[in-house]
Amino acid sequence: MLGKGVVGGGGGTKAPKPSFVSYVRPEEIHTNEKEVTEKEVTLHLLPGEQLLCEASTVLKYVQEDSCQHGVYGRLVCTDFKIAFLGDDESALDNDETQFKNKVVGENDITLHCVDQIYGVFDEKKKTLFGQLKKYPEKLIIHCKDLRVFQFCLRYTKEEEVKRIVSGIIHHTQAPKLLKRLFLFSYATAAQNNTVTDPKNHTIMFDTLKDWCWELERTKGNMKYKAVSVNEGYKVCERLPAYFVVPTPLPEENVQRFQGHGIPIWCWSCHNGSALLKMSALPKEQDDGILQIQKSFLDGVYKTIHRPPYEIVKTEDLSSNFLSLQEIQTAYSKFKQLFLIGFPPLPPYCGSDNTATLLFSPSSAYQLPSDNSTEFWDTDIKWFSLLESSSWLDIIRRCLKKAIEITECMEAQNMNVLLLEENASDLCCLISSLVQLMMDPHCRTRIGFQSLIQKEWVMGGHCFLDRCNHLRQNDKEEVPVFLLFLDCVWQLVHQHPPAFEFTETYLTVLSDSLYIPIFSTFFFNSPHQKDTNMGREGQDTQSKPLNLLTVWDWSVQFEPKAQTLLKNPLYVEKPKLDKGQRKGMRFKHQRQLSLPLTQSKSSPKRGFFREETDHLIKNLLGKRISKLINSSDELQDNFREFYDSWHSKPTDYHGLLLPHIEGPEIKVWAQRYLRWIPEAQILGGSRVATMSKLLEMIEEVQSLQEKIDERHHSQQAPQAEAPCLLRNSARLSSLFPFALLQRHSSKPVLPTSGWKALGDEDDLAKREDEFVDLGDV
Amino acid sequence: MPPRVTFQPCGWQQNEDTPLSSEYDFALVNIGRLEAVSGLSRVQLLRPGSLLKFIPEEIMIHGRDFRLLRVGFEAGGLEPQAFQVTMAIVQARAQSNPAQPYSGITLSKAGQASGSRKPPVPLMETAEDWETERKKQAARGWRVSTVNERFDVATSLPRYFWVPNRILDSEVRRAFGHFHQGRGPRLSWHHPGGSDLLRCGGFYTASDPNKEDIRAVESMLQAGHSDVVLVDTMDELPSLADVQLAHLRLRALCLPDSSVAEDKWLSALEGTRWLDYIRACLRKASDISVLVTSRVRSVILQERGDRDLNGLLSSLVQLLSAPEARTLFGFQSLVQREWVAAGHPFLTRLGGTGASEEAPVFLLFLDCVWQLLQQFPADFEFSEFFLLALHDSVRVPDTLTFLRNTPWERGKQSGQLNSYTQVYTPGYSQPPAGNSFNLQLSVWDWDLRYSNAQILQFQNPGYDPEHCPDSWLPRPQPSFMIPGPPSSVWLFSRGALTPLNQLCPWRDSPSLLAVSSRWLPRPAISSESLADQEWGLPSHWGACPLPPGLLLPGYLGPQIRFWRRCYLRGRPEVQMGLSAPTISGLQDELSHLQELLRKWTPRISPEVHSKKRDPHTILNPTEIVGILKDQFHPFWITRC
Repeated sequence: MLGKGVVGGGGGTKAPKPSFVSYVRPEEIHTNEKEVTEKEVTLHLLPGEQLLCEASTVLKYVQEDSCQHGVYGRLVCTDFKIAFLGDDESALDNDETQFKNKVVGENDITLHCVDQIYGVFDEKKKTLFGQLKKYPEKLIIHCKDLRVFQFCLRYTKEEEVKRIVSGIIHHTQAPKLLKRLFLFSYATAAQNNTVTDPKNHTIMFDTLKDWCWELERTKGNMKYKAVSVNEGYKVCERLPAYFVVPTPLPEENVQRFQGHGIPIWCWSCHNGSALLKMSALPKEQDDGILQIQKSFLDGVYKTIHRPPYEIVKTEDLSSNFLSLQEIQTAYSKFKQLFLIGFPPLPPYCGSDNTATLLFSPSSAYQLPSDNSTEFWDTDIKWFSLLESSSWLDIIRRCLKKAIEITECMEAQNMNVLLLEENASDLCCLISSLVQLMMDPHCRTRIGFQSLIQKEWVMGGHCFLDRCNHLRQNDKEEVPVFLLFLDCVWQLVHQHPPAFEFTETYLTVLSDSLYIPIFSTFFFNSPHQKDTNMGREGQDTQSKPLNLLTVWDWSVQFEPKAQTLLKNPLYVEKPKLDKGQRKGMRFKHQRQLSLPLTQSKSSPKRGFFREETDHLIKNLLGKRISKLINSSDELQDNFREFYDSWHSKPTDYHGLLLPHIEGPEIKVWAQRYLRWIPEAQILGGSRVATMSKLLEMIEEVQSLQEKIDERHHSQQAPQAEAPCLLRNSARLSSLFPFALLQRHSSKPVLPTSGWKALGDEDDLAKREDEFVDLGDV
Repeated sequence: MPPRVTFQPCGWQQNEDTPLSSEYDFALVNIGRLEAVSGLSRVQLLRPGSLLKFIPEEIMIHGRDFRLLRVGFEAGGLEPQAFQVTMAIVQARAQSNPAQPYSGITLSKAGQASGSRKPPVPLMETAEDWETERKKQAARGWRVSTVNERFDVATSLPRYFWVPNRILDSEVRRAFGHFHQGRGPRLSWHHPGGSDLLRCGGFYTASDPNKEDIRAVESMLQAGHSDVVLVDTMDELPSLADVQLAHLRLRALCLPDSSVAEDKWLSALEGTRWLDYIRACLRKASDISVLVTSRVRSVILQERGDRDLNGLLSSLVQLLSAPEARTLFGFQSLVQREWVAAGHPFLTRLGGTGASEEAPVFLLFLDCVWQLLQQFPADFEFSEFFLLALHDSVRVPDTLTFLRNTPWERGKQSGQLNSYTQVYTPGYSQPPAGNSFNLQLSVWDWDLRYSNAQILQFQNPGYDPEHCPDSWLPRPQPSFMIPGPPSSVWLFSRGALTPLNQLCPWRDSPSLLAVSSRWLPRPAISSESLADQEWGLPSHWGACPLPPGLLLPGYLGPQIRFWRRCYLRGRPEVQMGLSAPTISGLQDELSHLQELLRKWTPRISPEVHSKKRDPHTILNPTEIVGILKDQFHPFWITRC
C-alpha cells in the first residue's frame, strides 16, 4: 500500500527494530558539512515575519522512490512558518517549479499547517507536547496538507536542539490569542504594498448591494428582501451585517431571539422555490419561555407558509444526519492512510485514542515481520481500510442529502428550510452543494468563490475553531470545509466540463486554509473580523487594516501557474450575442464551435420502450433502496428524480447531479497522494491527457483566429497560450505537486547492481549496509 | 449459424455493413443467467431444462461478459411468441455443446473476399509471418525453426517459432523433450537494446538427459548471453483456480441486483481479490521489464505449462517496453502471437469445454492492459472501447481465434493441415493458387461484427506517441545497457535476484525446486528498487531517467482501479454520462474548423496541415456527423 515507503525504510525484513534507514554514512556527513556552510540558503521573510529560533546542521530526510537520503541545512522557526534551508534548492530551478507557491515554499510549513509533532527517543516515537525533559534525536512533523517531514537532530548542537524543538512545539501547539495571529503583523507591515487585484470579481457579500445583486441574479427579489437590521452587529454577532429574509417578516422578529428562529434566505431557484436556513432557538427548560418560543415560531411559519411562498419542507440537519463528531473521527482515520513516513506511533493521548489505535494502518508493521508477506498485505487491504474510515460514505451521504433537497426544489417546487443549531456547519455544506448542483453560475470560478464567501464566510462558519487555528480547543476541530471541498471534487471529477476550475484549484484552496496571511479562513464570523480590524494599540486614528483575501490568487501564484487552476475543457454558456463579442472570446474561456448539447443526442431507445418503465423501476428499485432509509414516498421521489436525471443527456449549464453508487465515490487522489513518491507514474496519468488537451486547444484557437482573420479583416487578439504543460514531455502524475522527488537526483545505492549479489555472503553484507543512523 | 441469441432492432437490415450486430448478439455459451420477468414481482430464473411457469413480459439475459440483454415483449398478441422464444432459448442452452464442430461462418462477407485476401493481422501460421516479424524485431541471432511443422514436437506449440541461429533443428527437438509438454525455450521478443525475452515450460525433471542434451538446453536458454535470468512466473501470481474464483466473485458483485450495500461496496470489491491479482501481474511485469531493459541479457519466463501466465507476462512486458506493441496493429499481433499462436487454451480457460480448468486468464490480461491505458492515456493507440470489443469477442462463435485450445486444433479445423508438406526456405512464398482451404476469418476481422463508426472508436484520440521527446528508436542503444558479469545465472523471485549455480535442474546439483527453497523473502523494497539496483547510476541518461519507451506502471492500492465500463454494464444507470466529450470532442471541433478553413480559403490548407500535426486524419466530416448522432458508446448493451 502506501505504507511502502515506511516499510522500505524500516519495516520489512528488519522491522520493527530499525526505525530508519539512511544511505548517508558517517564519513559522508563530514564532507557534506563543509559544502553546506558554503552554499547556505538565505531565509526569505515575509513583511512582518520574525525569526524566532533556529538550528544548524539539521539533516532532513528526503524520500525518493524507495530509498531515503539526507540533506543538511538549517531549521528555522519564525512566527509564520517552520522552514528548512538546505542546499537542495539549486536542483529545482527549472521548468518544473513553475507551479511554485510564492508564499509557502516546499520546505516551509506554516505554523497552522502543523498537525502533529513526534520525537524519536532511542528508536521510540512519541508525540511531543508541552514542556520536554528530554530532547529527541529526530523530529517528525505531520502537516495538515499531508506532508511528512523528518529531521535528524543528531548532529545539531544540544542547546540549538533545545531551542528549536521547544520553539516549534510552543509556537505550533500552545493556545494562541486571536490578536497574535500572524495575519495581523503581516497586514500591519504590508499595509502599503498590498495591492488588491482589480480583476477579482468575487462578490464578498459584505455590503447590502452585494445581497441585492444576488437577489436580482436569482430573481429572488420578488419575495425576499435584503435587510440591514444587523448593521454594526447590533442584533447578533453571529450573523453578517446584511442578509436576506422573506419580505413580510417584521424586523423586530429578527431582534427577538438575536437572529435565532428566523428563516434566512440562501438562494432562489429559477422556478421560484428557495433554499432557506434557520438556526434553532436556544433550548430552554422553562415552560413559559418555551410557550413564547412556540408562538414566535408559529408566527414565523405562518408568514412563510402563506402564498406567494411555496410549501416549506424543513430539513433538520442536527438530527438524523451526520454528526460533527462522526466527520472528525472519519477524517482522522482517513488521513492516516496517507500520512506516510514513519513506522507505528505509540498511542496518541488525544480524545480519539481508541479509534486511532484500532485503525492505524501502520499497526501491521508492529507485528514481527518474519513473514515478508505482510508488507504486501497492506495493499491488499487498501479498500477495506478505506471503507472502514467511512470518509467516502460520509461524502456520499452529504451528496445524497443535497440531491434530496434539490429534488424537493426542482421537481416538487417546494421551499426547503435547513435547520441547524447555529446554521453554520452542515447548513453551509448542504446549501453550498445544492447551489453547485442547481446553479451553473456557482461552477464558474468567480461564482464558486462568491458562493464560499456567501455561505461559509458570511454564513459564519467558525473557521478559526473548526481548523483549530488557535489551538484553544481540540474538540471543536472538525474538517467541515474540507468535507465540502471533497464533495465538490467528486462533482468536478464526475463532470469535468461543467466546472471552470480544476481539481488543482480545489487542492490549493484546501492548502490555503492554513496560510495565515489571508483573512478568509481565519475568523469565526464577519463580526469577529470587523472588530479586530483596527490596528493594535489605541493610537490608531488611521484606516483599518487591509487584509488579503485568498481569492487574490496572484499573491500565491504567478499568472503562468494560475493557468493550472483553470479548466481548459470548461465551456462557457453560449451567449446569444456572441457575434458581437468576438474580441472577448479568447480572453475568457473558449467556446466550442459545436455546441455540446448537439453531441449529446438522446439515446436510441431500441428495444427498450416506455412501457417497460415499471420494469426499470423494478430493477433499479432493488439497488436504490439500499441508498435510502427514509420514508417510502421520499424514496420513490428521490429514485425517480435521480434515475431520470442520469438517464438523460447532461446539460453542463443546467442541473448537475453526482453519481453516488458505491464505485462512484472516489479518493481525491491529487490531494491525498501528491506527496507520496511511490504513487507517481512517470509520464502517465491525467497529466498526459491534459498536455494533449492543451495542445489541441491551442490548435483550435489558432485555427479560430485564422478563420476570424479571413472573415473579418481586423486582427483577432492573440490567444494566451497555456504553456505550462508544453514541452514538458514526461511529467510525473504527481504534477504539479511533489517537485522534490525527481529521479535525476536519485542517490547512488551503495550496494547497487550485480556486485552485491555475487554470492550469499555478499547478500548478508548487503543487509548490514542498511545503516541505521540510530546505531551510529 | 453458430448457436446464439440475437436481437434485431426494428429497421435493422441484414445487409447492412455489419453482418451481425455486436450489441444485441449473445452466444449461447455467453449466457450466464437467464431470467424471465412478469409484472413487478414475478421473476423466474431459468436453468437449462427448466420449464417456464408464466408468460414473460420480459427476459433478461446476463452475459458472462458482464453485458445485459433485456428483451421486452409488448403486450397484445405477442404472448405466444414470448413463451416460445423463451423456451427455445432454454432448450438451446440445454442442448448446446460448446465443443461441437465448428461450422464456419458462411456469410456473404466471407464470400466477397477473394482468395488473395490477407488477414488484417498476421496469424502467425506461416513461416513468412514469423520471418517478417523476426526481421521487424531485428533479432539477428535467431531463426525460424520448422521442427514443429507437423505438430510432432508439441501440439500446443505453433508450427513455427524462433530458436537461436546456432542450434540445429535436431538439437531443438531433443532439447524440447526435456520440457513439460515439449514446450522448450523460444524467443518471445527481442529488445532493440540487445536483450532477449524467452518463454518455456517447466523442466521435465523425470527425464534423464545426456550431456549433449543438457548443453543444448543450456545454450538455448542462454541464447548467446552471458547474463541469464530465470523468472518463475508462477511465483507471487495467482493460480488458475484463484483467477477463476476471483472472476466469479467479481461477476456476482456486478450483477444489477447484487445485495452489497453501497457503503460496503469497496470491501466487497476487495473481497473478490480480482484487483489484487491485477496488481500482482503489473508488479511482476514491471519488474521483468526492468530486467529486460536494464542490461543485455536473456530473460526466461518459465511456467510449468507455459500457456497461461507466461503469455500474460510476456505480453505485458512488451506493452511496457515496446512502443510498437502499443499501437492497434501491434497489440493485435501481440495477442495473436503470444496467446493464440502460443497455444493458450482459450476454449478450456473460458469455460467452453466444461472442464474444471476454467480460468479467464486472458480477461485478467485485458484488465491489466486497461489499467495501463488508464495510467498512460497518451501512450496507447487503441482505446478502452477496443479492449471492450476484444473482451466481448472471446465467446463469440464466429471465428476460431478464441474457440480452440491449440494451434493444431485450429489448423485442423480450417483445413490448413494439407499444406504441411511444404518446406520453409528463405524467400519462398506460398503459392496462392491451389489453396483449397476456407478463407480463415479471425477475431481481428472486426468488420464482421462492428460497424465502421464503432471501429473508428477503437482509436484512442489521446494517443500521442511523441509526447516523449526521445521517441522510440528501434536501434541498439548500448548506452544504457550495462554488460553483465561473465556467465552469471540468476533466479528472479520476489523482487530480488538470487544467483543460481546452474541453469538446469539435472546433473549433480540440487534441482530448481531445491533452489527455490532458498528464496529470499522479498526485500522490503519495491520494484522501483529493482530499477534502483539496475540503474543506480543515472548519470549517462541525463535528465530523462527511464530508457525511452519504457513505462513503469503504478500498482499501489489506490492506483489499481475498477474497470467500471466493462464490469458494470449490467447496471445501466452507472454508465450514463461516462463518455463526456473531452479529447474526442475537441478533435471533432478541430476537424470541423479545419474543414471550414479549407472551404473558405482553399489555397492555404496545405500550409495549415504541414504546420501542425494532424490528429484527425482518420475522421472525415461525414463520419463525424455519424459519431455525433450516436454519441453514446456503441458497446453499451442496455439503453434506457
